[in-house]
Amino acid sequence: MTAAVDQETGEVLTRPERPLAARNWRIGIAVLLIVGVMWSFSGLDAGLRDVVEAPREGWKIVKEMWPPAFKTVYHRGAVGKIFESLYVAWIGTMIGAILSFPLSFLAATNIAPTALRVPIRQVFNAIRSVPELIVAMVLITVLGLGPWAGALAIGLHSIGTLGKLSTEVIETSDEGPLEAISAAGGTWVSRMRWGMVPQVLPTVIGYWLFRFEINVRASAVLGLIGAGGIGGELVSQLNFRNFPEVGAVLLMVIAMVLVIDTISGFARRRIIAGSGRKIDDDETGRTVNLIGDLGGSGLTR
Amino acid sequence: MSDAVAPVAVRPRKPRPQLHTYLLVIALAAFTVFAGRQIGFRWSSFIDIWSNPFWGRFWPVPWGWVLDRHNVLDALVETFQIAIISTTIGCTLALPIGFAMSKLTTPNTPTFWLSRTVMSIVRAIPDLLWGKLLVTAIGIGAFAGAWALTIFSLAVMVKLFSETVDAADERPLEAARAAGGRHTPAVRTAVLPEVFPAFVAYALYVFELNIRASLVLGLVGAGGIGRVVETQRATFNFDRLMGILIIMFVIVMSIEQVSVAVRKRLV
Repeated sequence: MTAAVDQETGEVLTRPERPLAARNWRIGIAVLLIVGVMWSFSGLDAGLRDVVEAPREGWKIVKEMWPPAFKTVYHRGAVGKIFESLYVAWIGTMIGAILSFPLSFLAATNIAPTALRVPIRQVFNAIRSVPELIVAMVLITVLGLGPWAGALAIGLHSIGTLGKLSTEVIETSDEGPLEAISAAGGTWVSRMRWGMVPQVLPTVIGYWLFRFEINVRASAVLGLIGAGGIGGELVSQLNFRNFPEVGAVLLMVIAMVLVIDTISGFARRRIIAGSGRKIDDDETGRTVNLIGDLGGSGLTR
Repeated sequence: MSDAVAPVAVRPRKPRPQLHTYLLVIALAAFTVFAGRQIGFRWSSFIDIWSNPFWGRFWPVPWGWVLDRHNVLDALVETFQIAIISTTIGCTLALPIGFAMSKLTTPNTPTFWLSRTVMSIVRAIPDLLWGKLLVTAIGIGAFAGAWALTIFSLAVMVKLFSETVDAADERPLEAARAAGGRHTPAVRTAVLPEVFPAFVAYALYVFELNIRASLVLGLVGAGGIGRVVETQRATFNFDRLMGILIIMFVIVMSIEQVSVAVRKRLV
């Protein structure tokens, strides 16, 4: 590298060195990651040969899946199972939405007293931390195998996640309308009905739809443990190693998820942006941010 | 202004909802009822669940069994190992692919479309289905689980990351290109520094997702604590199951707290 020379003073310009602390941090984190990965790999009970072998095995199976045997799975009623998954997701979302909305008012800092708020929040957290698959597993023992146990499991889990998100929306709302209503002599109920609900509802419904998209995926998984829907079909085909049928079922799952995502994404943007306005890039960008902020609340995409 | 018209205290009429709003609401309600009937919705279940004598079997938790090293802890360590390896590898791979998936930094249009299409298909298959598929392909065990979560975290990461790159400032990149930078160095020096904090924040978030997912991967035979959950359920030891659930709750909550705190600092 030739050093640059300042035209006026003739002074040799050198590039300033990077700060040492930053470099040390970088090396430290890199070492930590590498050691972490090596330690984790040692626990996986696999050799380096397996790492090379696994993609080959996977590819072999992908090749066997082609051409997908749509006819066989159609005769086994896979289309009905796809719809069953959708119903499970929809009912689950409905249960979650209807129960979480009133609860989230009681959990918001700006509305509810501490004595009420804290326990409800803890309930949301507790529900959220148990995976819906395990909730479904327990519910199956009570309600028996079938889609209803799956829908209820999804519903319960959605109460936790939707409750947390709606609470946050309520807490960040504008208090002006509420104040105006109390100044005009409104009661608590009318403050909520006319001041709060119209303010938060578009965002909250956006979250419901978003949760519906996640629940569609979850309900496709729930069949793995016998809670109805397309997952059960996938498992039985995989267990018999009927790979063309597996390919067909997988393509159906992919199609279902992508179609629902598209419809729901459109509806979400329409609700948040309103009908009259054209949605410009900035606005969609904000929707993305809104969703990107869902941290820790079950954004599994 | 004596001839000013006194304001008439008439409340303006509320605009009536349009016809298609009614139709939409009716259609959604009808769909809900129909879906409920299809899956066997029962109001009585809400009472049945509470009054079921079965809940007595969840208590008391046999802490001696739960805290014994060989029963739970070993499987829990495996869960962490799966999450660490899949997050690290998945996120590292997501860096170049995420850049390829953004209009701003993609090397060329075919790469852009190819990576977008492939990744949205990969993302459409839920994590546990990946687990089940890979268990069938490469055998039961944590290795299959690690593969499944690597693939899935790659797909989630590239979506979040490429959206951040889309929103990045394009002027530094333009400057780097004007100064004669080739594609990769230009992206590395002009875009990467801007989006890297977000990348780290997302990586932490993906780690959180992976911990949650690897808790249940064992249900499909892909290793981790889910393996223990499955055997205890199969043998109806619900009190032990309760102990494991409490441990899961503690882990998920503490990881979420840490990850949220770090992410707040980063972004």
